[in-house]
Amino acid sequence: MSRQSSRAPDPRKVNGELFTLTYGALVAQLLKDYEDDDEVNRQLEKMGYNIGVRLIEDFLARSNVSRCNDFRETADQIAKVAFKMYLGVTPVVSNWSAAGDEFSLLIENNPLTDFVELPDGHTDLNYSNLLCGALKGAMEMVQMEVDVKFVQDQLKGDNITELRLKFIRRLEDAVPAGED
Amino acid sequence: MAQLSDAVLFEYLHIEIVGYIHRCADENEKDHCIAKLESLGFRVGQSLVERFTRESTRFKDELDTMKFICKDFWNSVYRKQIDNLRTNHQGVYVLQDNKFRFLTQISNGKQYMDVAPKFLAFPCGMIRGALANLGVNSVVTAEVSAMPACKFQIQIQRT
Amino acid sequence: MAVCVAVIAKENYPLFIKTIPTDNELKFYYTVHTSLDVVEEKISSVGKNTNDMRELYLGLLYPTEDYKVYGYVTNTKVKFVIIMESSNTNLRDNEIRSMFRKLHGAYSDMLCNPFYTPGENITSRSFEEVVLAMMQQD
Repeated sequence: MSRQSSRAPDPRKVNGELFTLTYGALVAQLLKDYEDDDEVNRQLEKMGYNIGVRLIEDFLARSNVSRCNDFRETADQIAKVAFKMYLGVTPVVSNWSAAGDEFSLLIENNPLTDFVELPDGHTDLNYSNLLCGALKGAMEMVQMEVDVKFVQDQLKGDNITELRLKFIRRLEDAVPAGED
Repeated sequence: MAQLSDAVLFEYLHIEIVGYIHRCADENEKDHCIAKLESLGFRVGQSLVERFTRESTRFKDELDTMKFICKDFWNSVYRKQIDNLRTNHQGVYVLQDNKFRFLTQISNGKQYMDVAPKFLAFPCGMIRGALANLGVNSVVTAEVSAMPACKFQIQIQRT
Repeated sequence: MAVCVAVIAKENYPLFIKTIPTDNELKFYYTVHTSLDVVEEKISSVGKNTNDMRELYLGLLYPTEDYKVYGYVTNTKVKFVIIMESSNTNLRDNEIRSMFRKLHGAYSDMLCNPFYTPGENITSRSFEEVVLAMMQQD
């Protein structure tokens, strides 16, 4: 009587799809609510920020990474550990500025945009802007203020998706949550 | 319990979505918020079930479909099966999950009865969307008796 | 090698039809339309106890003088119809089956686009590309 379960879907893949689809539903809803790309970008960044603030705790607990000595090490941790852990992809760190305070994350297959075909007339929408907010939020929790933005996006026909991270300053005075 | 990290990401996203929907609504629009969350879940359920059933054989009947929701669908989304499925054989199914993932994040305080519906609207929508795409129209509601146990009641709508 | 590929909604209206360039598109539309009855028949004729007959691929629906019409139905009751030229005699069942699987994959990816409203006509570029590839290969 019981159904023969077909090949069970890979749970890891499914959870990624669940996230991707839920995120897509959210972006579509935001576009309906605001009808303005810039405002949607802002909302996505805000939500991303809140996620980043929480996620860093999970990340530190799970990854056992030691404290980063410089921004280059931080860049490697973000690309090779954090992105890999949460999104299953490893962006390439590149395009360092001469001063070493700015770099790019090059993402070949952004999982957030699987399945997505942008409707016409949304050239200003940064579909994956949640990522910018999440990175900012997470970095702030480890006393780094950074600026994060999309400079290229495969969704808009660019060859690669490029996130630019710029170190602004170290937040010396902030007392991190949950630390005495 | 080991939990995969990308599951955490999904849970945090869900919390943000619940927060967003309620932020931009008045106090007297609570029902509206629930409906909005439910419809987001509906759309996700529709898509998910299309993917999950690509390799399945064709479903025999309604019960067969319901078993799929309790086993394969639940397992894929929540990494566990439904603990108990009951039906009155007249179009009402009650699915009990003794440890519902979205409720395990909420603390066990007394205020949970207020908070729980917010976190159950999206999951209810996902069930309704999955079933609708499989050709079964229904109304899905959820009820919390003791945290984090949850009962989903599915009422089939026949025309 | 396919001359016509169609996707039919569960309520039996077309979501997508693509034919090779022809003066007689209507003929294909008509063929797809009539094939739906055969699909319904195939689905309902399956006895409830025969587990082995519940494959999504329905096989050859019917041959005409010039064409062979194949069908497939998803668990979500969406129907796919592919029309092939009968002159293509060395066509194996497995090849048709894998075309349908590819089509099903493309359909479910398309459905997952958050900006697509289920039930609307399919206008996705990547879905169309998959279909066009089926109509071009040898």
